[in-house]
Amino acid sequence: MNKLKATLIKATVLTFEQLSFLLPTEELDEKQQNARPEAAVSVEFQGPFSGKLLLILYGQLLSNIAANMLGQEDAPSKKQQQDAFGEIANVICGNMLPGIAGSKEVFQIFAPQWIRNAGSAAAGKETSAAEARVGLDLGRVDVRLFLSSDAVHFLKEHEQ
Amino acid sequence: MAINVLVVDDSAVMRAMIIKALHLCGLPLGEIHQAANGKDGLKVLDKNWIDLSLVDINMPVMGGVEMIDKVRENPDMADLAIIVVSTESSETRIEMLEKKKAGFVHKPFSPEVLRKLIIEKTGVTDEQVKGDAYQSNGFDF
Repeated sequence: MNKLKATLIKATVLTFEQLSFLLPTEELDEKQQNARPEAAVSVEFQGPFSGKLLLILYGQLLSNIAANMLGQEDAPSKKQQQDAFGEIANVICGNMLPGIAGSKEVFQIFAPQWIRNAGSAAAGKETSAAEARVGLDLGRVDVRLFLSSDAVHFLKEHEQ
Repeated sequence: MAINVLVVDDSAVMRAMIIKALHLCGLPLGEIHQAANGKDGLKVLDKNWIDLSLVDINMPVMGGVEMIDKVRENPDMADLAIIVVSTESSETRIEMLEKKKAGFVHKPFSPEVLRKLIIEKTGVTDEQVKGDAYQSNGFDF
């Protein structure tokens, strides 16, 4: 497993465990693999290099995630669900960047952008630099990292 | 001493989580105010007595760093205890915030971490806290 993917998985697992109180798994069962796309959100960042993190949630998990984050039993509103998933994307991004760029680099992380059609986001053909697939309850989350061309140079220098 | 708190974050869900964590800290809380960006946060500070502000960095309209700068420039509120609650964990950014006399809590965080920093920043003593119903339940936020 390359460093980008390992960092992405670590940040994803930590964030879902601690924010949404779900138990993420790296091994997926059949139900998790076949779950349908429910929601998608992206977060862009800029710093020594720029890029984007895309999260696609599969299965009917969004309402549970928001309810767990809010600590309420009533079904959260659509707006709360979107806010909760966006905040998760934001936290994953913030936790991932020091892992790939080092702890001294400063990045600006922009507000999460909700993607209306999760299915087309899931089917997107854009090539990612790394992708993490993590099981969550009866569904899963796919996290795709896209990096600008200046990232290649930065990461090579950073490795040495 | 009950602490009046202002929570500034553009995510309503994150504000709710921070407020939940504050209640789990077992500290003597007074009024809790909320704002969705730094500009609205400054308006709340202008109209209310606030002892502690928990501030996100990246927000629309006015971000946390600009809000902190404006607070420190204003003699009426320059000494406000501020803790930044953010996803960012760049050492450079944290050093810069320390120079502005702001504490830093990294998301996700535990109520224990938040409690320790609040005590440090507000000067609430263990004696004042003693007797309050602080119980860690292992939750992180």
